[in-house]
Amino acid sequence: MKKSPQTVTFTLNGERKTFITEPDEKLLALLRREGYKGTKFGCGQGTCGSCTVLLDDRAVYSCLLYAKQAEGRNVRTIESVGTYENPSEFQEELVKNGAVQCGYCIPGMIMSATSLMETEETFEDEIVKEYMDGNLCRCTGYEKIWGALRTVLDKEAAKKAKEAK
Amino acid sequence: MKLVEFIRPASLSAARDNLRELGPNGMALAGGTALHFMQQHKPGTAVDITRLGLSYIREEGDFYRIGATTPLSDIQRYRAPRWAMHEICRRISTHQIRNISTIGGNICRVFPWADLPVVLLAMDAKMIVYDGQEEEFGADDYFSSQPAKRFLDGQILTAVKVPSLQAYHGFGSVKATRNAAAFALVTIAAVLELDGNHIKSARVAAGSAIPFPRRLPSVEAALTGKEATSQVFKEASEQAGADAPWRGREGMTPAYTKQLAEVSILDALERAATFARGRSE
Repeated sequence: MKKSPQTVTFTLNGERKTFITEPDEKLLALLRREGYKGTKFGCGQGTCGSCTVLLDDRAVYSCLLYAKQAEGRNVRTIESVGTYENPSEFQEELVKNGAVQCGYCIPGMIMSATSLMETEETFEDEIVKEYMDGNLCRCTGYEKIWGALRTVLDKEAAKKAKEAK
Repeated sequence: MKLVEFIRPASLSAARDNLRELGPNGMALAGGTALHFMQQHKPGTAVDITRLGLSYIREEGDFYRIGATTPLSDIQRYRAPRWAMHEICRRISTHQIRNISTIGGNICRVFPWADLPVVLLAMDAKMIVYDGQEEEFGADDYFSSQPAKRFLDGQILTAVKVPSLQAYHGFGSVKATRNAAAFALVTIAAVLELDGNHIKSARVAAGSAIPFPRRLPSVEAALTGKEATSQVFKEASEQAGADAPWRGREGMTPAYTKQLAEVSILDALERAATFARGRSE
Protein backbone atom coordinates (compact mmCIF):
# COMPACT_ATOMS: atom_id res chain seq x y z
CA MET A 1 0.00 0.00 0.00
CA LYS A 2 1.46 3.32 -1.08
CA LYS A 3 2.00 5.71 1.82
CA SER A 4 0.24 9.03 1.40
CA PRO A 5 2.30 12.24 1.40
CA GLN A 6 2.28 14.17 4.66
CA THR A 7 1.09 17.30 2.90
CA VAL A 8 -2.26 18.64 1.76
CA THR A 9 -2.92 21.04 -1.11
CA PHE A 10 -6.09 23.03 -1.49
CA THR A 11 -7.33 26.45 -2.52
CA LEU A 12 -7.62 28.61 0.56
CA ASN A 13 -9.48 31.90 0.14
CA GLY A 14 -8.70 31.90 -3.56
CA GLU A 15 -5.02 30.94 -3.32
CA ARG A 16 -3.69 27.47 -3.96
CA LYS A 17 -1.59 26.42 -0.98
CA THR A 18 0.27 23.36 0.28
CA PHE A 19 0.61 22.61 3.97
CA ILE A 20 2.50 20.02 5.94
CA THR A 21 0.02 17.98 7.92
CA GLU A 22 -0.55 14.68 9.70
CA PRO A 23 -3.30 12.14 8.95
CA ASP A 24 -5.00 12.90 12.25
CA GLU A 25 -4.92 16.69 12.02
CA LYS A 26 -8.28 18.45 11.78
CA LEU A 27 -8.77 21.20 9.23
CA LEU A 28 -9.60 23.58 12.09
CA ALA A 29 -6.23 22.96 13.75
CA LEU A 30 -4.36 23.45 10.48
CA LEU A 31 -6.14 26.71 9.71
CA ARG A 32 -5.51 28.16 13.15
CA ARG A 33 -1.83 27.24 13.28
CA GLU A 34 -1.42 28.79 9.83
CA GLY A 35 -2.81 32.06 11.18
CA TYR A 36 -6.43 31.86 10.06
CA LYS A 37 -7.66 32.48 13.58
CA GLY A 38 -11.04 33.89 12.65
CA THR A 39 -12.21 30.28 12.56
CA LYS A 40 -12.89 29.45 16.20
CA PHE A 41 -12.52 26.30 18.25
CA GLY A 42 -15.75 25.92 20.23
CA CYS A 43 -17.11 22.50 21.15
CA GLY A 44 -14.76 20.44 18.98
CA GLN A 45 -17.54 17.94 18.33
CA GLY A 46 -19.67 19.34 15.56
CA THR A 47 -22.38 21.03 17.56
CA CYS A 48 -21.72 24.75 18.09
CA GLY A 49 -20.78 25.92 14.60
CA SER A 50 -18.06 28.41 15.59
CA CYS A 51 -15.54 26.53 13.39
CA THR A 52 -17.74 26.71 10.25
CA VAL A 53 -15.86 27.16 6.96
CA LEU A 54 -16.98 26.67 3.37
CA LEU A 55 -15.78 23.56 1.56
CA ASP A 56 -16.60 23.87 -2.15
CA ASP A 57 -19.11 26.58 -1.16
CA ARG A 58 -20.89 24.42 1.42
CA ALA A 59 -20.80 25.14 5.13
CA VAL A 60 -19.04 22.43 7.13
CA TYR A 61 -17.63 22.04 10.64
CA SER A 62 -13.84 22.23 10.30
CA CYS A 63 -13.49 20.49 13.70
CA LEU A 64 -15.04 17.35 12.20
CA LEU A 65 -13.01 17.39 9.01
CA TYR A 66 -9.57 15.89 8.65
CA ALA A 67 -7.29 18.36 6.86
CA LYS A 68 -6.61 15.63 4.29
CA GLN A 69 -10.28 15.62 3.30
CA ALA A 70 -9.77 19.11 1.85
CA GLU A 71 -7.23 17.86 -0.71
CA GLY A 72 -7.90 19.57 -4.06
CA ARG A 73 -10.96 21.37 -2.72
CA ASN A 74 -11.86 25.00 -2.32
CA VAL A 75 -11.81 26.19 1.30
CA ARG A 76 -13.03 29.59 2.43
CA THR A 77 -12.70 31.06 5.89
CA ILE A 78 -14.11 34.19 7.53
CA GLU A 79 -10.97 36.06 6.40
CA SER A 80 -12.29 35.86 2.82
CA VAL A 81 -15.59 37.54 3.69
CA GLY A 82 -14.55 40.82 5.26
CA THR A 83 -11.98 42.59 7.39
CA TYR A 84 -12.17 45.08 10.24
CA GLU A 85 -11.42 47.91 7.79
CA ASN A 86 -13.62 46.54 5.04
CA PRO A 87 -16.48 44.53 6.56
CA SER A 88 -19.14 42.72 4.55
CA GLU A 89 -22.70 43.98 4.55
CA PHE A 90 -23.81 41.34 7.05
CA GLN A 91 -20.89 42.15 9.36
CA GLU A 92 -21.84 45.84 9.30
CA GLU A 93 -25.46 44.99 9.95
CA LEU A 94 -24.52 42.77 12.91
CA VAL A 95 -22.67 45.67 14.50
CA LYS A 96 -25.52 48.11 13.78
CA ASN A 97 -27.98 45.74 15.43
CA GLY A 98 -25.82 45.20 18.52
CA ALA A 99 -25.89 41.51 17.61
CA VAL A 100 -22.29 40.82 18.60
CA GLN A 101 -21.82 40.26 22.30
CA CYS A 102 -18.92 37.93 23.11
CA GLY A 103 -18.58 37.47 19.34
CA TYR A 104 -17.23 33.93 19.43
CA CYS A 105 -20.03 32.42 17.32
CA ILE A 106 -20.11 35.23 14.78
CA PRO A 107 -17.50 34.01 12.24
CA GLY A 108 -19.37 30.69 12.00
CA MET A 109 -22.72 32.47 11.69
CA ILE A 110 -21.33 34.61 8.87
CA MET A 111 -19.96 31.60 6.97
CA SER A 112 -23.35 29.81 7.14
CA ALA A 113 -25.09 33.00 6.03
CA THR A 114 -22.59 33.39 3.17
CA SER A 115 -23.40 29.95 1.84
CA LEU A 116 -27.12 30.73 2.20
CA MET A 117 -26.84 33.98 0.23
CA GLU A 118 -24.70 32.44 -2.49
CA THR A 119 -26.79 29.29 -2.92
CA GLU A 120 -30.44 30.27 -2.61
CA GLU A 121 -32.53 32.56 -4.77
CA THR A 122 -35.17 33.35 -2.15
CA PHE A 123 -34.91 33.52 1.62
CA GLU A 124 -38.09 32.30 3.28
CA ASP A 125 -37.77 31.81 7.05
CA GLU A 126 -37.80 28.02 6.68
CA ILE A 127 -34.81 28.07 4.31
CA VAL A 128 -32.91 30.52 6.52
CA LYS A 129 -33.47 28.32 9.56
CA GLU A 130 -32.26 25.31 7.58
CA TYR A 131 -28.94 27.01 6.82
CA MET A 132 -28.48 28.49 10.28
CA ASP A 133 -29.56 25.50 12.41
CA GLY A 134 -25.96 24.43 13.05
CA ASN A 135 -24.76 27.64 14.69
CA LEU A 136 -25.30 28.26 18.39
CA CYS A 137 -25.08 31.60 20.19
CA ARG A 138 -25.08 31.56 23.98
CA CYS A 139 -25.28 35.35 24.45
CA THR A 140 -27.90 37.01 22.32
CA GLY A 141 -30.93 34.78 22.22
CA TYR A 142 -30.62 35.06 18.42
CA GLU A 143 -33.13 37.91 18.00
CA LYS A 144 -30.56 40.54 17.03
CA ILE A 145 -28.59 38.16 14.81
CA TRP A 146 -31.83 37.19 13.08
CA GLY A 147 -32.78 40.85 12.67
CA ALA A 148 -29.43 41.71 11.09
CA LEU A 149 -29.57 38.70 8.81
CA ARG A 150 -33.15 39.43 7.75
CA THR A 151 -32.22 43.00 6.77
CA VAL A 152 -29.35 41.78 4.60
CA LEU A 153 -31.36 38.92 3.10
CA ASP A 154 -34.26 41.21 2.15
CA LYS A 155 -31.81 43.49 0.32
CA GLU A 156 -30.14 40.49 -1.32
CA ALA A 157 -33.50 39.06 -2.42
CA ALA A 158 -34.49 42.40 -3.95
CA LYS A 159 -31.15 42.54 -5.79
CA LYS A 160 -31.58 38.99 -7.13
CA ALA A 161 -35.16 39.68 -8.21
CA LYS A 162 -34.01 42.80 -10.10
CA GLU A 163 -31.23 40.84 -11.82
CA ALA A 164 -33.69 38.13 -12.84
CA LYS A 165 -35.95 40.67 -14.63
CA MET B 1 -10.19 6.80 16.33
CA LYS B 2 -6.62 8.08 15.96
CA LEU B 3 -5.45 8.08 12.36
CA VAL B 4 -1.85 7.22 11.53
CA GLU B 5 -2.40 7.08 7.79
CA PHE B 6 -4.84 8.54 5.30
CA ILE B 7 -4.99 6.98 1.85
CA ARG B 8 -7.02 7.72 -1.24
CA PRO B 9 -7.26 4.67 -3.53
CA ALA B 10 -7.82 5.34 -7.22
CA SER B 11 -10.49 2.70 -7.77
CA LEU B 12 -13.18 0.77 -5.96
CA SER B 13 -11.29 -2.49 -6.27
CA ALA B 14 -8.11 -0.86 -4.88
CA ALA B 15 -10.13 0.48 -1.95
CA ARG B 16 -11.53 -3.00 -1.30
CA ASP B 17 -8.02 -4.51 -1.41
CA ASN B 18 -6.68 -1.81 0.94
CA LEU B 19 -9.47 -2.36 3.43
CA ARG B 20 -9.09 -6.12 3.25
CA GLU B 21 -5.36 -5.86 3.89
CA LEU B 22 -5.81 -3.42 6.77
CA GLY B 23 -8.48 -5.53 8.49
CA PRO B 24 -9.64 -4.01 11.79
CA ASN B 25 -7.05 -1.21 11.46
CA GLY B 26 -8.67 0.17 8.31
CA MET B 27 -11.77 2.29 8.06
CA ALA B 28 -13.61 3.43 4.95
CA LEU B 29 -14.05 7.19 5.13
CA ALA B 30 -16.85 9.08 3.42
CA GLY B 31 -18.01 12.15 5.38
CA GLY B 32 -15.90 10.93 8.28
CA THR B 33 -17.97 12.65 10.96
CA ALA B 34 -18.47 9.47 13.00
CA LEU B 35 -14.77 8.57 12.89
CA HIS B 36 -13.94 11.34 15.36
CA PHE B 37 -16.08 9.68 18.00
CA MET B 38 -15.14 6.04 17.54
CA GLN B 39 -13.65 4.60 20.67
CA GLN B 40 -10.93 2.44 19.26
CA HIS B 41 -7.68 2.10 21.10
CA LYS B 42 -5.59 1.04 18.14
CA PRO B 43 -4.65 3.79 15.71
CA GLY B 44 -5.98 3.19 12.22
CA THR B 45 -5.85 4.07 8.55
CA ALA B 46 -8.60 6.01 6.82
CA VAL B 47 -9.40 4.83 3.31
CA ASP B 48 -11.04 7.78 1.58
CA ILE B 49 -13.76 6.57 -0.81
CA THR B 50 -15.20 10.00 -1.65
CA ARG B 51 -13.42 10.41 -4.99
CA LEU B 52 -14.66 7.19 -6.60
CA GLY B 53 -17.75 8.57 -8.32
CA LEU B 54 -20.14 7.29 -5.66
CA SER B 55 -21.92 10.61 -5.13
CA TYR B 56 -25.06 10.81 -7.31
CA ILE B 57 -28.84 10.38 -7.41
CA ARG B 58 -30.39 8.97 -10.56
CA GLU B 59 -33.58 7.30 -11.66
CA GLU B 60 -33.20 3.66 -12.68
CA GLY B 61 -36.45 1.97 -13.65
CA ASP B 62 -38.66 1.77 -10.57
CA PHE B 63 -35.87 2.93 -8.27
CA TYR B 64 -33.89 5.97 -7.36
CA ARG B 65 -30.27 4.92 -7.05
CA ILE B 66 -28.36 6.96 -4.50
CA GLY B 67 -24.56 6.63 -4.46
CA ALA B 68 -23.17 5.69 -1.04
CA THR B 69 -21.08 8.86 -0.64
CA THR B 70 -23.91 11.22 -1.56
CA PRO B 71 -24.16 13.87 1.17
CA LEU B 72 -27.45 14.06 3.07
CA SER B 73 -27.90 17.67 1.90
CA ASP B 74 -28.00 16.50 -1.75
CA ILE B 75 -30.74 14.01 -0.85
CA GLN B 76 -32.55 16.72 1.06
CA ARG B 77 -32.51 19.05 -1.95
CA TYR B 78 -33.39 16.45 -4.59
CA ARG B 79 -36.97 16.60 -5.86
CA ALA B 80 -38.85 14.19 -8.13
CA PRO B 81 -42.49 13.10 -8.42
CA ARG B 82 -42.18 9.66 -6.81
CA TRP B 83 -39.56 10.59 -4.26
CA ALA B 84 -39.87 11.21 -0.51
CA MET B 85 -36.35 10.81 0.90
CA HIS B 86 -35.83 14.55 1.31
CA GLU B 87 -38.34 14.68 4.15
CA ILE B 88 -36.25 12.76 6.67
CA CYS B 89 -32.86 14.11 5.53
CA ARG B 90 -34.02 17.62 6.38
CA ARG B 91 -34.44 16.43 9.97
CA ILE B 92 -31.03 14.86 10.45
CA SER B 93 -28.60 16.85 12.59
CA THR B 94 -27.49 20.29 11.38
CA HIS B 95 -26.85 21.96 8.03
CA GLN B 96 -23.06 21.59 8.37
CA ILE B 97 -23.33 17.88 9.16
CA ARG B 98 -25.79 17.23 6.33
CA ASN B 99 -23.33 18.84 3.93
CA ILE B 100 -20.65 16.28 4.71
CA SER B 101 -22.33 13.22 6.24
CA THR B 102 -23.34 10.60 3.67
CA ILE B 103 -26.16 8.09 3.27
CA GLY B 104 -23.61 5.26 3.26
CA GLY B 105 -21.93 6.41 6.45
CA ASN B 106 -25.32 6.52 8.13
CA ILE B 107 -26.19 2.93 7.36
CA CYS B 108 -22.85 1.05 7.26
CA ARG B 109 -22.62 1.22 11.02
CA VAL B 110 -26.06 1.69 12.50
CA PHE B 111 -26.42 3.54 15.77
CA PRO B 112 -29.70 3.00 17.66
CA TRP B 113 -30.81 6.59 17.03
CA ALA B 114 -30.16 6.51 13.26
CA ASP B 115 -33.11 7.72 11.17
CA LEU B 116 -32.26 6.46 7.71
CA PRO B 117 -32.50 2.72 8.51
CA VAL B 118 -36.07 3.33 9.71
CA VAL B 119 -37.03 5.04 6.46
CA LEU B 120 -35.22 2.50 4.28
CA LEU B 121 -36.95 -0.38 6.11
CA ALA B 122 -40.38 1.18 5.55
CA MET B 123 -39.57 1.86 1.90
CA ASP B 124 -38.14 -1.62 1.30
CA ALA B 125 -34.92 -0.21 -0.14
CA LYS B 126 -32.06 -2.32 -1.52
CA MET B 127 -28.45 -1.94 -0.47
CA ILE B 128 -25.67 -2.62 -2.98
CA VAL B 129 -22.46 -4.03 -1.51
CA TYR B 130 -19.26 -4.35 -3.55
CA ASP B 131 -16.87 -7.21 -2.98
CA GLY B 132 -15.23 -7.66 -6.37
CA GLN B 133 -18.74 -7.61 -7.78
CA GLU B 134 -21.92 -6.00 -6.59
CA GLU B 135 -24.48 -7.83 -4.50
CA GLU B 136 -27.93 -6.54 -3.59
CA PHE B 137 -29.49 -6.91 -0.13
CA GLY B 138 -33.11 -6.15 0.76
CA ALA B 139 -33.66 -3.82 3.73
CA ASP B 140 -35.16 -6.58 5.93
CA ASP B 141 -32.05 -8.70 5.46
CA TYR B 142 -29.54 -5.83 5.56
CA PHE B 143 -30.90 -4.35 8.80
CA SER B 144 -31.61 -7.72 10.49
CA SER B 145 -28.47 -7.13 12.59
CA GLN B 146 -25.61 -4.61 12.76
CA PRO B 147 -24.60 -4.03 9.10
CA ALA B 148 -21.00 -3.19 10.11
CA LYS B 149 -20.49 -6.98 10.32
CA ARG B 150 -20.90 -7.17 6.55
CA PHE B 151 -17.91 -4.94 5.93
CA LEU B 152 -15.22 -6.69 7.96
CA ASP B 153 -13.43 -8.14 4.96
CA GLY B 154 -13.05 -5.03 2.82
CA GLN B 155 -16.60 -4.97 1.38
CA ILE B 156 -17.86 -1.50 0.48
CA LEU B 157 -21.42 -0.21 0.32
CA THR B 158 -21.71 1.49 -3.08
CA ALA B 159 -25.36 2.49 -3.45
CA VAL B 160 -28.86 2.45 -2.01
CA LYS B 161 -31.83 1.79 -4.27
CA VAL B 162 -35.01 3.43 -3.02
CA PRO B 163 -38.21 2.32 -4.76
CA SER B 164 -40.06 5.16 -6.47
CA LEU B 165 -43.49 5.56 -4.90
CA GLN B 166 -46.10 4.12 -7.25
CA ALA B 167 -49.70 5.31 -7.64
CA TYR B 168 -51.75 5.10 -4.43
CA HIS B 169 -48.60 4.49 -2.37
CA GLY B 170 -47.94 7.03 0.34
CA PHE B 171 -45.04 7.73 2.67
CA GLY B 172 -45.08 9.36 6.08
CA SER B 173 -42.38 9.86 8.67
CA VAL B 174 -42.16 11.41 12.12
CA LYS B 175 -39.03 12.20 14.07
CA ALA B 176 -39.64 13.30 17.66
CA THR B 177 -36.72 15.28 19.13
CA ARG B 178 -36.08 17.72 21.95
CA ASN B 179 -34.73 20.30 19.51
CA ALA B 180 -34.02 20.53 15.79
CA ALA B 181 -30.46 19.25 15.89
CA ALA B 182 -30.87 16.62 18.65
CA PHE B 183 -30.84 12.87 18.15
CA ALA B 184 -34.27 11.32 17.76
CA LEU B 185 -36.28 10.24 20.78
CA VAL B 186 -38.50 8.21 18.45
CA THR B 187 -38.40 7.88 14.66
CA ILE B 188 -41.28 6.31 12.73
CA ALA B 189 -41.68 5.74 8.99
CA ALA B 190 -44.63 4.20 7.16
CA VAL B 191 -45.52 3.29 3.59
CA LEU B 192 -49.18 2.54 2.84
CA GLU B 193 -50.63 1.18 -0.37
CA LEU B 194 -54.29 2.06 -0.78
CA ASP B 195 -57.01 0.68 -3.04
CA GLY B 196 -59.72 3.30 -2.69
CA ASN B 197 -59.74 3.63 1.07
CA HIS B 198 -58.76 0.01 1.58
CA ILE B 199 -55.22 -0.70 2.87
CA LYS B 200 -53.65 -3.21 0.49
CA SER B 201 -50.29 -3.30 2.19
CA ALA B 202 -48.39 -1.53 4.96
CA ARG B 203 -44.77 -1.29 6.01
CA VAL B 204 -44.11 0.47 9.32
CA ALA B 205 -40.70 0.79 10.96
CA ALA B 206 -39.36 2.40 14.12
CA GLY B 207 -36.07 3.44 15.63
CA SER B 208 -34.35 5.29 18.47
CA ALA B 209 -36.17 4.33 21.68
CA ILE B 210 -35.68 0.65 20.89
CA PRO B 211 -32.37 -1.25 20.82
CA PHE B 212 -32.11 -1.40 17.02
CA PRO B 213 -34.22 -0.05 14.11
CA ARG B 214 -36.86 -2.57 13.05
CA ARG B 215 -40.23 -3.09 11.41
CA LEU B 216 -43.39 -3.32 13.53
CA PRO B 217 -45.20 -6.47 12.29
CA SER B 218 -48.12 -6.27 14.75
CA VAL B 219 -48.83 -2.70 13.70
CA GLU B 220 -48.64 -3.71 10.03
CA ALA B 221 -50.97 -6.70 10.61
CA ALA B 222 -53.52 -4.41 12.27
CA LEU B 223 -53.58 -2.26 9.12
CA THR B 224 -53.49 -4.69 6.22
CA GLY B 225 -56.92 -5.38 4.73
CA LYS B 226 -58.62 -2.67 6.82
CA GLU B 227 -60.08 0.69 5.88
CA ALA B 228 -57.74 3.68 6.11
CA THR B 229 -59.55 5.49 8.92
CA SER B 230 -58.27 7.32 12.00
CA GLN B 231 -59.82 4.65 14.22
CA VAL B 232 -57.96 1.84 12.43
CA PHE B 233 -54.72 3.85 12.58
CA LYS B 234 -55.23 4.41 16.30
CA GLU B 235 -55.87 0.73 17.00
CA ALA B 236 -52.84 -0.24 14.92
CA SER B 237 -50.56 2.23 16.69
CA GLU B 238 -51.61 0.73 20.02
CA GLN B 239 -49.91 -2.50 18.90
CA ALA B 240 -46.50 -0.78 19.15
CA GLY B 241 -45.83 -2.34 22.55
CA ALA B 242 -46.25 -5.86 21.14
CA ASP B 243 -43.39 -5.40 18.68
CA ALA B 244 -40.61 -3.69 20.55
CA PRO B 245 -39.41 -2.93 24.09
CA TRP B 246 -39.71 0.86 24.32
CA ARG B 247 -36.99 2.26 26.54
CA GLY B 248 -37.08 5.33 28.73
CA ARG B 249 -34.33 7.86 28.12
CA GLU B 250 -33.43 11.50 28.64
CA GLY B 251 -35.78 11.75 31.61
CA MET B 252 -38.65 9.95 29.91
CA THR B 253 -40.17 6.80 31.40
CA PRO B 254 -40.63 3.70 29.20
CA ALA B 255 -44.40 4.26 29.38
CA TYR B 256 -43.99 7.81 28.09
CA THR B 257 -41.72 6.65 25.26
CA LYS B 258 -44.26 4.01 24.28
CA GLN B 259 -46.99 6.63 24.19
CA LEU B 260 -44.76 8.95 22.17
CA ALA B 261 -44.19 6.06 19.74
CA GLU B 262 -47.94 5.40 19.45
CA VAL B 263 -48.72 9.04 18.76
CA SER B 264 -45.87 9.20 16.23
CA ILE B 265 -47.11 6.06 14.46
CA LEU B 266 -50.61 7.51 14.26
CA ASP B 267 -49.19 10.72 12.80
CA ALA B 268 -46.98 8.89 10.27
CA LEU B 269 -49.95 6.77 9.13
CA GLU B 270 -52.18 9.82 8.66
CA ARG B 271 -49.46 11.46 6.58
CA ALA B 272 -48.87 8.32 4.52
CA ALA B 273 -52.60 7.96 3.81
CA THR B 274 -52.98 11.63 2.80
CA PHE B 275 -49.93 11.24 0.54
CA ALA B 276 -51.34 8.04 -1.03
CA ARG B 277 -54.83 9.46 -1.64
CA GLY B 278 -53.44 12.34 -3.66
CA ARG B 279 -51.48 10.13 -6.04
CA SER B 280 -53.39 8.55 -8.91
CA GLU B 281 -50.34 8.04 -11.11
